[in-house]
Amino acid sequence: MKHRILPVLALAAVGAVALSSCGAGTRTENENATTVSCDYTAPEGSTTVNVLAYNSSAIDPFTDTMVSSCSTDSVTLKHDPIDFGGQVTKTTATLAGDTGTYDIIETYGFVIPGFAEEGKLVPLNDLYDKYAADYGLDEISESMREGMSYDGELYALPMQAQMYVMAYRTDVFDDLGLEVPTTFDEMISAAEEIKQAGVMDYPIALPWLATSDVTTSYQAAMNSLGTDFVTADGAVTLDTPEAKQALEAMVALTPYMDPQVTTFDQPKVQQQMFNGTAAMSIMFSGRMVDLTMESNSKLFDSIGFAPAPKVTAGAEYSYNRLSIDGWSIPFNTKLDHDMLFVMMASAVSEDASEASVPAAYPAREGMVTEENSPYGAAANESMATAMPPIVSPIQATVTNEIRPILVQVLGGNISVDEGLAQMQAASERVAG
Amino acid sequence: MSLTATELSTRAIVTGGSSKRRSRSRRRPPVVTGILLAILCVVVLSPFIWMTLSVTKPTDVAFSNPPVLWGYEPTFQAFVDLWETTYFADYLVNTLVVAVVSTIVALIIGIPAAYALSRFPSYVSALLLVLALIFRALPRFAVVLPMYDISRAMGIYDTTFALAIALVAINQPFTIWLLRNFFAEIPKELDEAAMIDGCTRIGMLRKVMIPLMGPGILTAGIFVFLFAFQEYLTALVLTDTSSKTVPVFIATQLGQTLPMLQQAGAASMLLTIPVFVIAFVAQKYLVAGLSDGAVKG
Amino acid sequence: MKAREFWILFFPSLLVMGALLVLPLVRTVQWSLEQVRYGTPGTFVGFDNFAAALTDVRFGKAVMFTVAVTVVTTVILLVFGYIVANGINRITTSRPLVLGIMLVSYVLPNLVGAVAYSWLFDDNFGGVVNRLIGFFGGTQVLWFTDQVPNAILVTANTVWHMLPFAMLIILAGLQGVPEELKEAARIDGANTFQTHLNVIIPTIRGVLGFVTLITIMDVLRMFDNLIPLSPQAQAIGNESIMMYVYSVAFADGAQQLGLGSAINVLTIILILIMLIPFIRGIFKEAKAER
Repeated sequence: MKHRILPVLALAAVGAVALSSCGAGTRTENENATTVSCDYTAPEGSTTVNVLAYNSSAIDPFTDTMVSSCSTDSVTLKHDPIDFGGQVTKTTATLAGDTGTYDIIETYGFVIPGFAEEGKLVPLNDLYDKYAADYGLDEISESMREGMSYDGELYALPMQAQMYVMAYRTDVFDDLGLEVPTTFDEMISAAEEIKQAGVMDYPIALPWLATSDVTTSYQAAMNSLGTDFVTADGAVTLDTPEAKQALEAMVALTPYMDPQVTTFDQPKVQQQMFNGTAAMSIMFSGRMVDLTMESNSKLFDSIGFAPAPKVTAGAEYSYNRLSIDGWSIPFNTKLDHDMLFVMMASAVSEDASEASVPAAYPAREGMVTEENSPYGAAANESMATAMPPIVSPIQATVTNEIRPILVQVLGGNISVDEGLAQMQAASERVAG
Repeated sequence: MSLTATELSTRAIVTGGSSKRRSRSRRRPPVVTGILLAILCVVVLSPFIWMTLSVTKPTDVAFSNPPVLWGYEPTFQAFVDLWETTYFADYLVNTLVVAVVSTIVALIIGIPAAYALSRFPSYVSALLLVLALIFRALPRFAVVLPMYDISRAMGIYDTTFALAIALVAINQPFTIWLLRNFFAEIPKELDEAAMIDGCTRIGMLRKVMIPLMGPGILTAGIFVFLFAFQEYLTALVLTDTSSKTVPVFIATQLGQTLPMLQQAGAASMLLTIPVFVIAFVAQKYLVAGLSDGAVKG
Repeated sequence: MKAREFWILFFPSLLVMGALLVLPLVRTVQWSLEQVRYGTPGTFVGFDNFAAALTDVRFGKAVMFTVAVTVVTTVILLVFGYIVANGINRITTSRPLVLGIMLVSYVLPNLVGAVAYSWLFDDNFGGVVNRLIGFFGGTQVLWFTDQVPNAILVTANTVWHMLPFAMLIILAGLQGVPEELKEAARIDGANTFQTHLNVIIPTIRGVLGFVTLITIMDVLRMFDNLIPLSPQAQAIGNESIMMYVYSVAFADGAQQLGLGSAINVLTIILILIMLIPFIRGIFKEAKAER
């Protein structure tokens, strides 16, 4: 027996090593990625650049462009596939100590103030000025660059914007003669009709994952009513009438959503649309193009897109969050910052950005239109109605504190008023 | 009453019954029992059956609800994508390297230790058993979190070396205890006889004991290999990008979109198949190790 | 054997275990008395961490959940493992096949098995079990957001994972029950049930004790299978002790390494207390054999 097992294991090991040298990590099959020029001075010897970025059809084009354009014989860009939750955990871990694992990390507008305040990201103003001309960085929309700045300093190079877009079943709506909803009330009445007609039990699907996305949804609801969790000065505003109204609006949706909706991250909401178990969903635009792909679902040609609705008819803004995704350099990387910046810049260059449409909504002016993207019109309209963000370094901390309480309210375990009181108290504790 | 391993033959357990029993056993085959066991086997395998189905379906029907059980064309695209677009080959190599290195090192340092302990008085063996139990029962984080800290300070964080050594240490008490029980079955007189012929203690160990201990060493080796192969918690803490193992990779894919979830499932199936092979081929040794532990305890 | 020879043979193992097991344990104890983060020296805070742990509601829930699952799993494993072992004891020709199949869930990494298991219960993956329940007229069960169904799911998976182990060991024990004993019971007029209860089980009680011991030790430390099966563990109160330590001392920025270490120490103490009867038994037997 001994004689049989060891050779088999050895053979397997050799086979795996041989196969690993062919094809590992080459993702040139992404039709939304391309190869661009990436001119940097490579250090002596062989170097590995570790890139941290989650997988989604909107982020992958930029990651894949970076990996395929900037890899050379002596410089390897390594990008491990990872889901969004994993990226959040790894970001915290790598920024925690004096040495980290990653050299380029994907960041988004929401976390920039917190990280910048703590000095965890390399300020990019000087590097930007140096390389802007070569990579056409000035065409990146200025408001997006501001969205990734803090205290006058740029901390991330924007690659794309994401905003809430509604995806709905055109065939179901047409059959029942329904209008596309523009408010939460209209969503509820459409859902009611779909339910009565016996088409679906839970026509609405939203990403309310209890360990992350649910607070984004609450924040979007409050933004629709013109407020946020905190003010720019750091005062907690969860005791306002708008906070209550937003929370009640969310609770009103729960009868029309799957009872386990708090297990839904965005991929699971996509799954609801793929399976035809939901007729309306509101997610970030980066998840929209998957819904139109024939390889993903038989319903791919029955999906329509609309701008994000408002919480009430009289609300000033839409139920929406404008999130800007970008590339940052962590403070504790040992590699040359110039080289890393050039890699990031190549990934957001004009060619790369054009190639990423319609999978992504690049951060450059006017790239996405009704013609070149199935959800382009909806995305542009959504963006126009999003509330300008309120920036405060304690937002991320407050969000983490209130999340468990929010989940309890949505699960019906505590009342709205009780939940709001608890959230206000918990936030004030960490706001200091 | 406690039973010693000499009264049991693992062959008996695996093939069924001693000769005594066979002559007097019932002639009619146990049909009801057989049927119930068959149902149990299907239930036990059902997660793997379902996963195999899911990862060989085209993406648009893979996770559809209600589930689609026929009428599609099976495909291995998920496996191809897994192999070509992720570093799965690297993860697999890491997992195997860690398992193999752990096993070899554990046996190299465990065999002499177990032998030495087996030649010591029996109250020491009871003490050893107690210590082995205690170390096995410890919450692993109590050991692994300091290892994380130390490995980062020493610069060996995220290496297969660090992970392998950590697993050697964690599994060492069990390894020594298991080997010691096997050694204890070999009579001490054999030692004396070999040494009278002029062998040193270590020479005798090499030339006489280890060949005799073949099955025992193989059993211990298989167990250490399995423990290292199955490890998730330690790998989660001690690896990052360079030495990631397959279970850690699978855990990072749970929140991905559809095609990548299929790839995670494909990765799971690729691990399951060798496990099936091991379960059948090494059955005898697994049974020996498990039962030996029970009856010597 | 001379003492010098003993130490030469034993030394490498001792070195590895001392450096990599004992030293980290000492470090954990040290950390439990400090407010500390990785890579930086900590500040001594005495027993504050222990006080915080013992008054923490979340820790209390974790302990209750872990202990509940442990007890239920152990009972089910003993009963079901015994029944299955007896069943397998009866068949002969297909025994290697059945044993091979049964061993798979034990040999596979716990995490991988749990992922496959979770797909059966999740509607987003086809939800086969939910379809079956619906087919037999049952109501919808929320496996991932309701506490009790989720606990049942986790327990079922743990039983599925450890059944082969329990069954094999009990099977080994059954092989050693002398035929004469069973004959004698039959002659005395005992039926099958009574034979099992009064003859076989007492004979293999050492083996059953071993299964209980290992099951308790392993299930108290459960971690791997909760990752796919209970992604909302904290929200529904189904965290295990190890999950709580992980989130407190490693994930989320590891702000509370001291607290996590204190919980580790408390768990060690808990396990040692539970092991005492077994340890006494072992020493007693060793003395008897001398």
